[in-house]
Amino acid sequence: MLRDTYLVAKHELLVTARNPFWIVFGLFQPIVYLLLFAPFLKGVASTPGFPGGDSIQFFAPGLLIMNAMFNAGFAGFGIIEKMRSGFLERLRVTPISRVALVLGLVLVSTTEVILQSVLLVVVSLFFGLTVTMAGIALLLVLLVLVAIAMASASFSLALIVKDEGILAGVTNFFQLPLLLLSGVLLPIAFAPALIRALSALDPFRYAADAARDLIVGGSDGASVTTAFPLFVILAAIALGWFVRMIREAVA
Amino acid sequence: MSEPILVATGLRKTFRAARGNPAVEALRGVDLTVATGEVFGLLGPNGAGKTTAMRILCTLLIPSAGSARIAGFDLVREQAQVRQRIGYVGQKGGMEGVATGRENLILQARLYGMSRAAAAVRVDELIDRLKLAEFAGRKTQTYSGGQRRIFDLASGIIHKPPLLFLDEPTTGLDPASRARVWDEVRRLNAEGATVFLTTHYLEEADALCGHVAIVDKGAVAALGTPADLKATVGGDTIVLGFASEAAAKAAAAAVVGSPFGAKMQTHEQTVRLYVHRGEEVLPAVLQFLNAKQLEIATVTLARPSLDEVFLKLTGRSLTSEPQVGS
Ligand SMILES: Nc1ncnc2c1ncn2[C@@H]1O[C@H](COP(=O)(O)OP(=O)(O)OP(=O)(O)O)[C@@H](O)[C@H]1O
Ligand SMILES: [Mg+2]
Repeated sequence: MLRDTYLVAKHELLVTARNPFWIVFGLFQPIVYLLLFAPFLKGVASTPGFPGGDSIQFFAPGLLIMNAMFNAGFAGFGIIEKMRSGFLERLRVTPISRVALVLGLVLVSTTEVILQSVLLVVVSLFFGLTVTMAGIALLLVLLVLVAIAMASASFSLALIVKDEGILAGVTNFFQLPLLLLSGVLLPIAFAPALIRALSALDPFRYAADAARDLIVGGSDGASVTTAFPLFVILAAIALGWFVRMIREAVA
Repeated sequence: MSEPILVATGLRKTFRAARGNPAVEALRGVDLTVATGEVFGLLGPNGAGKTTAMRILCTLLIPSAGSARIAGFDLVREQAQVRQRIGYVGQKGGMEGVATGRENLILQARLYGMSRAAAAVRVDELIDRLKLAEFAGRKTQTYSGGQRRIFDLASGIIHKPPLLFLDEPTTGLDPASRARVWDEVRRLNAEGATVFLTTHYLEEADALCGHVAIVDKGAVAALGTPADLKATVGGDTIVLGFASEAAAKAAAAAVVGSPFGAKMQTHEQTVRLYVHRGEEVLPAVLQFLNAKQLEIATVTLARPSLDEVFLKLTGRSLTSEPQVGS
């Protein structure tokens, strides 16, 4: 089964990497966000109520979560074309296990997210980000969980709506509020009480908090012990959903 | 005879439709038996349910009701075993456009369990056999329709499946490409593979298939060998051509009282005799007219076509007024 997962993922990655646009726009997109947003944050950081320390320390972990959320959250777009061309059907008729197939497809988004994240961390170091190796390692695990959950959900949704336009609408409808409520871009402490209450329902709020704690090696915080189990469960549910969808992906 | 490779009973498929629309009954109880080693055809107009039936038989869709055994395994409970023994070339092909033809085939071979080395050998063998070398290294999105279809076929037979499903293998191909696909189907069949194909070309079913099921609106309207099916619409037509109208009239007059003159029609210089087993009657007709010193200019034996079978069964012509479907 691992072999089949590897085969599917390798094929998909080769195909993705062949696209020069992906290298430029996919891999470097988060860096662009960082370059545009980090200087702007310098001013904000002096605002009363902003968490202490350098703004990059606040912003880089948030950006990592946001990137995992958005990149993997758009994974489903690719599968609609595969469904249309019959490629998905061709994979589904082979004897490989459905779980292997699903993991292979999800692994591609996960790998992309890891590559982007590592690149983002490296660039952030030049902006003065301080990290611990253990913290970064744990943070990458969290990002993988976020990517698995988001990619699986996006794939499943794509197999239901079967149309890029509708998928874009549905994705934006969910992603933007989840992003804003997560406090990725601005500290949620700034928000009015209602928003703060709503943000407690946003799983990405916990991921963002955990990411900020983790990056400096604070792995024993409550945020971390909440975020990990939460995203293990979410990733498992989303994967299960995707497996179910692919068993009868009606094109 | 050995056990049939495919036995399906009571296959039904109902697609839930979008809100406000009635559900689509794509299959309404289909029974099929495919003998090991034959070429079996599903013939029917657009929207008849051919693709739906084939996708169910390939484990891609779960039937709403009914069951099937393929190569001795249960279609629903033993999917993995069934998948190992079938090859499937969908109506849409399914090549990854940004990968080369060769890469597509290698992936396919590897997913059927071949080692890296074995996959390379097998893919080269197929590229050679199907004469694909010229474009195997190009991205499949650059292929012409015919080139792509041959590659699709290659991907379906990569693991030498005992049962091969082909969904409209020649739709949209020019006569030369179609002939290539036909040749390959015949060759595979001669090598022992059972082939299950769908088509809406009558001549394709006629030329390739040992048995044909005519499907219409989700049900099998008729099943048999092409010859049997054609026999159900009545006999053959013997078309006799004469040098002049007078000669035709004279011949008609002579034939009227004869055993083969029961149903006939005279039109200008030709006389048409509607008979059963035309190939057996024809020599007698020729002898009879010869004995009467009536000189025949041309003779044609016209067989009833599957189109006539379809027309008789459904009241619609397969070739002239296609139903609108997916
Ligand atoms: N996923 C689906 N959802 C709803 N209806 C469907 C679906 N797939 C097929 N149908 C409907 O089921 C019927 C049979 O379709 P099918 O594709 O099996 O026909 P077909 O005989 O293969 O036609 P064609 O010759 O055009 O390929 C059609 O009315 C089609 O619209
Ligand atoms: Mg079809």
